[in-house]
Amino acid sequence: MIEIFSIILMLTGFFFFCVTTIGILRFPDFYSRMHAAGKGDTFSSIFMLLGLVLINMQHLSIGTLLVSMKIVFILVFIFLASPTATNAIIDAGFESGVMPWTKEEKVENKEV
Amino acid sequence: MIWQLDLLILTLIILCAFAAIKLKDMLSAVIIFGAYSFLLCLIWVEMGAVDVGFTEAAVGAGVSTVLFIAAVYRTTRTIAPPGPGRNFLKIIGFLSSVALGVVLLFAVGDFPDWANPNSPASLHVSPYYILNTIKDTSVPNIVTSVLADYRGFDTMFETTVIFAAGIAVIAILRRKIHKTDNNNSQAVETGQTETGTNIIIQTICRQMVPFMQLFALYVIAHGHHSPGGGFQGGVILGASFILLALSYDLQKMLKRMSEKWNIILANIGVLIYVGIGTLCVFLGANFLDYSILHKILPATSPIEARSHGMLGIEIGVGIAVMAIMITIYTNIASEGKHDKGL
Repeated sequence: MIEIFSIILMLTGFFFFCVTTIGILRFPDFYSRMHAAGKGDTFSSIFMLLGLVLINMQHLSIGTLLVSMKIVFILVFIFLASPTATNAIIDAGFESGVMPWTKEEKVENKEV
Repeated sequence: MIWQLDLLILTLIILCAFAAIKLKDMLSAVIIFGAYSFLLCLIWVEMGAVDVGFTEAAVGAGVSTVLFIAAVYRTTRTIAPPGPGRNFLKIIGFLSSVALGVVLLFAVGDFPDWANPNSPASLHVSPYYILNTIKDTSVPNIVTSVLADYRGFDTMFETTVIFAAGIAVIAILRRKIHKTDNNNSQAVETGQTETGTNIIIQTICRQMVPFMQLFALYVIAHGHHSPGGGFQGGVILGASFILLALSYDLQKMLKRMSEKWNIILANIGVLIYVGIGTLCVFLGANFLDYSILHKILPATSPIEARSHGMLGIEIGVGIAVMAIMITIYTNIASEGKHDKGL
């Protein structure tokens, strides 16, 4: 039963990883790419690590419980650090003058 | 051991290495180099060398990337186009590295198979360490006991090498600025910080620093039982201060860990290591033979004393590595002026 749950969680994480990769490759500009990377990466990592926590607790003992707790700590750390890093990168891009993509600009480019 | 996974990671490592050499933009090359280090760390963990992987992740992918970025930021970002006279040197370099590669490829044939029990590496000292570590030192993590006890000399001079690197960075880069210049630079610095502040980054980094330091202390003190030890813990401790300097500015970090204290702590760290070794001599044993320490440590047997001696020198290594990492960062990031960081 626990196995099925953890497989479902991991597949969800895998799906979001794929979506993140497609987003990074297909979005038109820096900001929307960072949006995909920051959100998708954090979300899928959380699902993946939750799956690992569950599959690690199959044989419940103090040892496996400790390892699971450490994974949960990593999860909290990623939940804080990954969006902050995305924010830092986007901030750096904004300060160095990367312009966001707009529809009008695209039309102008086509005309030129 | 999954060989398909190994092959995939190895291919990526080679691609990263070529990309890091070929890229003209130094900053991209540094980022690629960080990815290279991280993939190498995965390979180490796959092969069961968790301690080495931990060191690679902390030093290679973590702190050295930051140091490289600081160096690139303070020098130039792009490589100068090659002049007309460089081609000759390039051909000589290419030929010599090809010759070296051919010689090394010949030597590959003489290697023993992977995990061959009859290879020279696994015939002499390795079985002794595996069989007798617990009996000799009561330390479950064999790597720590080999590093800090059986081969204590080696580690002592590794610590000294790191210390010498820090001293060299101070000797080359550090320069005092005059009082009149000081006022000007401070005015520039306040202007810089106002544009560069970001409350989200600063808050999260400030909250994260104590946890990082707690984890570093755990890595140093728990190195006997789990992967880790003085080097890794020291690097993480140093990284926590570097994070503070990156998210705020250099002055905030230097208020908490001044240059004077850094140098003093680096010396103290190396002195703890050498001092424990010398203490053993004074008590009547060989240099770095910790078992004699049971005379002055209450309620320990000679075997437990070896374990405690290892903890002592790990603490010394951790302090020295932390202080040297902070020193190198502050000197590179501020060009030795210690006025403002990146």
